[in-house]
This record gives sequence, structure tokens and C-alpha cells, in this order.
Amino acid sequence: MEIRVKCRCGEEECSEWAIVELQGVVETQASFQGSIQNLEIGRLCHSDSSQGTYTFTVGYHELVGSKVTLKKPLLVLKKLQFDEVSGKATELEVVGIIRTKILFKTRPKPLISGTN
Amino acid sequence: MEEIGRIGGAEAVINLKLGSSVPISYHPCFGPHEDLLLLEADDKLVSDIFHERVTLRGLPDEDAVLCTKSKTYAIKFVGNSNSMFLIPPPSICPGDAQVSDTNNNDKPLVSVLKIAPGNMELVEVSPRLDKLKQILLANPFGAGDVEAMMDVDDDLDHNGKRDLALYTWSDLVNTVQASDEELRNGLQSLSAIEIDGYWRVIDENYLDMILRMLLHNCVLKDWSFDDLDEDDVVDALVADEFPSQLAGHCLRVFGSKVNETDKWKLEPRLVCLHFARQILREEKMRLESFMEEWKKKIPDGMEERFEMLEGEVLTEKIGIETRVYTFSVRSLPSTPAERFSVLFKHRSKWEWKDLEPYLRDLHVPRLSMEGLLLKYTRRAQPKADAPPVFSAR
Repeated sequence: MEIRVKCRCGEEECSEWAIVELQGVVETQASFQGSIQNLEIGRLCHSDSSQGTYTFTVGYHELVGSKVTLKKPLLVLKKLQFDEVSGKATELEVVGIIRTKILFKTRPKPLISGTN
Repeated sequence: MEEIGRIGGAEAVINLKLGSSVPISYHPCFGPHEDLLLLEADDKLVSDIFHERVTLRGLPDEDAVLCTKSKTYAIKFVGNSNSMFLIPPPSICPGDAQVSDTNNNDKPLVSVLKIAPGNMELVEVSPRLDKLKQILLANPFGAGDVEAMMDVDDDLDHNGKRDLALYTWSDLVNTVQASDEELRNGLQSLSAIEIDGYWRVIDENYLDMILRMLLHNCVLKDWSFDDLDEDDVVDALVADEFPSQLAGHCLRVFGSKVNETDKWKLEPRLVCLHFARQILREEKMRLESFMEEWKKKIPDGMEERFEMLEGEVLTEKIGIETRVYTFSVRSLPSTPAERFSVLFKHRSKWEWKDLEPYLRDLHVPRLSMEGLLLKYTRRAQPKADAPPVFSAR
């Protein structure tokens, strides 16, 4: 089988996607019921500092991180047209490219009023 | 806090200005989205992909490889234990047509569509050409096929009637995990020829018949081995009832084009090797007997030398006798682990001078010959003045 990797746009026009990466897992509170679609996760801030730091506040945790340029870009591919028999995709399309990510790799700081 | 306007999604993150902030939510269509993959690619490959020069190849039961025009890559999934929130540009799925639905119109909506478990990475590998050898050698084109081909009364597709597994270029692309360029080189090294749209290797016995007729004609018509005219050769062989396509092919198998001319010259090494193989067939012969037989078969004007047979025959000492037999590098696996395994099964210890011809054609990405030897062999040197000996690791 041969599957050609297709794209409807050239490299210049390709939509850029973003990645926010953090260590650990984000969870909803135990009391939350219902679907998580549309639920706010947190707030991303590009802090006013000379080092271009980013902060991400999730619940009562604050993460500190920075923007990283990927050594090798990531392409976002979408599998299309599935073969009935094998269940495998017969077409792949490039739907986006990722060149940078915001990476949080420090320990989250709990924001408890009164301590700072 | 700065107003960013109604740009939502990835842009708002990438261009987030100093001193600004933005809320991030789960996308209305958040989910596993297993049809979305991340592929790490260097800039050259990214360019190839955007020019639609990249394909995935392989049979359903194989691990797919990614091929550019000239290289083959294995695809590895690398997991990431971090949470990678994937944020698309706006309007990625029907559900978010209502971008300005909740909260206010002006706040940008940055939403996470999927948490990516990792990404695919590419590792350059050697093309998987052993399968090409296997499928083409299963049905070599021989005298019987020539008859069928020449039978002008036969309107039906003779190949179809015979129920053979034959391969067109397109079939090969769908079956062999190699890039186009590597596939073409593989076909070239097998001296394959396209007949009626199918790629075939020619049966050695049939090739022998054509070659001997060609040499016979050289003598008859006083042609020089170094200055053969393709049309003359083809005409003569067609007159002797060989198909013209195969006549031309004979020149390609045993000769080479003379630079900047339309002439061909026969390569003594290839001709002599052919006759050596015809003599040895399945047997081992005493070296002296072999050399005598060989000399008889070599056409006048060509000189045979034993060195021509390196990588094609081996000798062994049995008592005071030396025996020679066929052992061709072309019959060995093309992947290093399998190649070394077969070599060491055949003979547990090798001197470099004997081993080298059987390794010369191995090209492994990122591994030099020294690296290959280090990885797959054990080197011993019993005496300082004796040559080193290689055995299995």
C-alpha cells in the first residue's frame, strides 16, 4: 500500500498550532460532574519580565515556564479515508505545523493568600 | 490587560504579548482525536512533505515506513509523560462555529483540542530490498517465457494465464518498503528488466544462451569487445531468434556504455564471472580443475583472473587440496544483522581479506564499516604478525 502525505497549503501558509506542555496531569475537581468541553483550565500569562517568562495558573497552582523553539518542527497530520477491511487510514493530510511550545517544567507553586 | 480582539486559538498563545494573559479552556470538541498525529520532521523533510513528495509504504501487516524520493525512514512513536496540550487555530471543528458564544465577544478563545500522548519520530533506515530480490527471483524470465512472448497467435495475456506472481512498478511500490530511487537502484543491481510492464530478472541459463550467441557473433563478424554497436548486436541476435529487448539487455548486464558514444564494451569481469558460475553450479571443485575449465570457456581476447571472483566464490583447504565453490554476496541478506549471521553460520572465523568483499555493499545509515564490525563481530589477533580474524559477537 502507498499512502501519499497530502497538504492543501504550502509551507508558508500552513496554520501554526500551539503546544502548552506541563509535567503532571490536570484534573477536574472531584465534585465536578458533566463534560469537560468548554471548561476553563487556567490562565496563561506572558509575564512582564526580561526573561520572557510565562506563568500558567491552574486552580490554586502557579507554574512558571518559557517559550521553547522546537529543534525540529512537529507536523500535525490527520488520518483520513479509512479502509473498510484493515481499518487503516488510506490518506494523511498535513493540517498544521508547530514550531514553538510553552514548556512548564518547574514544580507548581501553590498560591495561598497570605504567604507571599 | 491588553485586548487582543477576536483572534482565538493558537495565534493568541504564539503571539501573546508581554504583560498580557489569556484564559485557556478545553475545546468544545475536546477528545482523544486519535486521527490526529504529531510527526517530528527536520526542515528538509518538512519541505519535501509540503511539496507532496513523501509517502508511507508497506503492507497492512508491516510497520509502515516513510519514503521521500531517495530515502527510507522507520516511524517510531515516542511517548511523552508530560501533558502536551494541543491548541489548534480557530474553527477547527464544527462545534466551535459559535466562537463568541460564552463570555464576551472580545476575549480570545484559546482551547485545547487534545492532549497529545507523544509524537512520531523518523529514523533513517536501509531500504528493505531483500523482499524485492525474493519476489523477482521467484519467477525468473526464461526460455519458456520467451516462447510465450514470441507466440504471435496468442492474443491473451500469457502471464495471466500462467497464474504467476508478477510485479509492475506500481506493484513493487506497494509491496517493497523502499524509496523510488532505492527501488530503482535495487532493480539495477539485480539486472532486472521491464517486460510487458512487469519487472523481471532473467534466468541465468537463458542469459548464458544469449551471451554465448553474442560472443559467437563477435568472432563471426570480427567485432571488438570494446566497441560494440547496439543495433548490430540486436540485429544479429534477433536473426538468431532472440527477442530484441533481451538482446539489448544482454549488453546492459555484461557490458557498459563507452563514455560519450553509442558504443558498448563488454566487461571482462562480468563475462568471466558468469562462466565461473556456470562451471561451479552447485558443486565444489578442485581449484586446479576449475581454473582449467574456466580458461577453456573464456573467449579469446579476454583474460580471466581469480581476483575477479571475490565476493562470489570461496576457497577451502581440505588436506592438501584447495576447493572452490560459489558463494555470492548477492544471495546474502541486505540487512547487517542477518548478513553477519549468515556469514558466521557459514564459516565461524574469517580473515579480513575474505570477509571484506561480502561487506562492501552494506550501507547502513549512521554506521561506518568500523562501526559495523564493532557492533556485529569479535576481532581476535592470535599473533602480532598474523592477520586479525573475525567471528560472531
